[in-house]
Amino acid sequence: MDFLEFLAKRSDDMVELGLEHAAVVGISVLLAAVIGVTLGVLTYQRQRPRELVLAATGAMLTVPSFALFILLLGVFGLGWTPVVVALTMYGLMPIVRNTVAGLNSVDPAVVESARGMGLTRWQRLLRIELPLAWPVIITGIRVTTLVLLGIAAIGYIVNGPGYGELIFTGLHRVGTPVAVNLVLAGTLGVIILAIVYDLVFYAVRHLTTSRGVR
Amino acid sequence: MMSTATNDDVMIRLEGLTKRYPGQQSNAVDALDLDIRRGEVVVLVGPSGCGKTTTMKMINRIIEPTDGRILLDGEDVTGTDADQLRRRIGYVIQQIGLFPHMTIGENIATVPKLLGWDKPRIAARVDELLTMVGMAPEEYRGRYPKQLSGGQQQRIGVARALGADPAVLLMDEPFGAIDPITRDRLQNELLRLQNEVRKTIVFVTHDIDEAIKLGDRIAILQEGSRIAQYDTPEQILTAPANDFVSDFIGRGASLKRLNLTHVADIELRDWPTVSASTDADTALAQLRSVPESALLVLDAGGRPVRWVGADDLHRAAGRPLDQVGLATNPAVEPRATLSDALNELITARFSVTIVVDDDGEFLGVVDIDQITDAIRDMRASAVSQARAGLQEQT
Repeated sequence: MDFLEFLAKRSDDMVELGLEHAAVVGISVLLAAVIGVTLGVLTYQRQRPRELVLAATGAMLTVPSFALFILLLGVFGLGWTPVVVALTMYGLMPIVRNTVAGLNSVDPAVVESARGMGLTRWQRLLRIELPLAWPVIITGIRVTTLVLLGIAAIGYIVNGPGYGELIFTGLHRVGTPVAVNLVLAGTLGVIILAIVYDLVFYAVRHLTTSRGVR
Repeated sequence: MMSTATNDDVMIRLEGLTKRYPGQQSNAVDALDLDIRRGEVVVLVGPSGCGKTTTMKMINRIIEPTDGRILLDGEDVTGTDADQLRRRIGYVIQQIGLFPHMTIGENIATVPKLLGWDKPRIAARVDELLTMVGMAPEEYRGRYPKQLSGGQQQRIGVARALGADPAVLLMDEPFGAIDPITRDRLQNELLRLQNEVRKTIVFVTHDIDEAIKLGDRIAILQEGSRIAQYDTPEQILTAPANDFVSDFIGRGASLKRLNLTHVADIELRDWPTVSASTDADTALAQLRSVPESALLVLDAGGRPVRWVGADDLHRAAGRPLDQVGLATNPAVEPRATLSDALNELITARFSVTIVVDDDGEFLGVVDIDQITDAIRDMRASAVSQARAGLQEQT
């Protein structure tokens, strides 16, 4: 049975697993963005806390994903929860780093003139600094999304959702003709999702960035 | 000494204002007392590191003073809410600092929006300010800062600072990073603008010429923001208080003084003129009856076009007078300074500078005697003012 026939036969599976995969990554990216941007905003002006947060979120990335999923299994059981938690942890670093870099790259003269006009700390952050840092921040979120799309597949070892199911089923049947098709289908699904997400981010970035700084 | 100003006149009063940075031996600003009168342009000038910028930034508390008091229009604002205070004070900095993600209109609307003005009022104000700084509202309000030149950006910087019509404007070397020709133009525009709006302006610069040109009063500052002299440009140029001030003014104080008087301030000399349609013989007769060696030919609109002497008239051979003789040098307008007039005079024919009005019509001439008279008057009034101060103190 060649690969295309295989895809045609499993098309329902492909769509359903694709939606799950996209959802689990989407939720995790959203959580990582909220937590990561918050951490970045809280620490970008203070050297010690900033270094601490960057080191901690960086360290999370070095934990092998297999190990992390299994460690979280004990706390959160099987299914979506451990996967979302693990992916959120993995996703923090690029977002925190880009938030800090973006906020620190805002022209000090712009911030000073905002202060001089009487914008409060909060107004400066929301109306001036974050909008100007936004193109850099959203690039961090995009990188995180691409990284998490790959890692999400491994979440199948704790019964997580998504294309991991096809890849791991293939792994169990190594040596049979269907094994290669399964792994290929799972990989292809992840790649297609990556392309779709990238297009979405391109559009969002374009729509949410002022013409004055594009 | 500065007691001539009553409390009503004082817009900004600094009392014992001090800034000490941790780990530094001497104070950046050391117990400064300064009164700034309503509607005046006060220039803080001094060598780099003298504390002039620190002083200015303590007025809107971008830098918090270590000690001392700031009174704004009689009210102690040293401990009030800094953000509220800053909304009452316009702020222009050298790096301009326009918000790049906002349009020109949105930039100018910043403070009015913070103060909760309604939309129609903000829109009207934005257009009014753009017009005031000489930029067509319909063309510029929707543009972004990066689409403007440096000079245009600083015009917007000034317009933005005037957004909510604050009584006080702080300007920190606003034209320091702009090319000399544009800087000169922006300085002139600021003077014209100030004529309309009459703000109390504190202007920081290290350029004494800029201080002389713009200041109603100049504070020359030494290290620690100690006042070496606080006086009008005339007084500072004619009666420098000490060696520090003389050194800071540098050479050419007399020439700099010429920047303070305008052609309109002195009485112009007359010069015999003749209409271009007059025939040569009539003109010759007229020339014989005056002591000058040439007549100034005016065209039908009364604008000077040629100089004609006796030789030119003899050789005219029926040609109209605007085709004989010598072309006139560029003329100056009444708002030009005596320095401009002297500059023209040096290269001019017959050692006079022609003065014309806005339409180019002939008003009279300036010669070297009038310029030296003007200098003598300035010196005399400066000396009598200095002596009056002497009597007050004894």
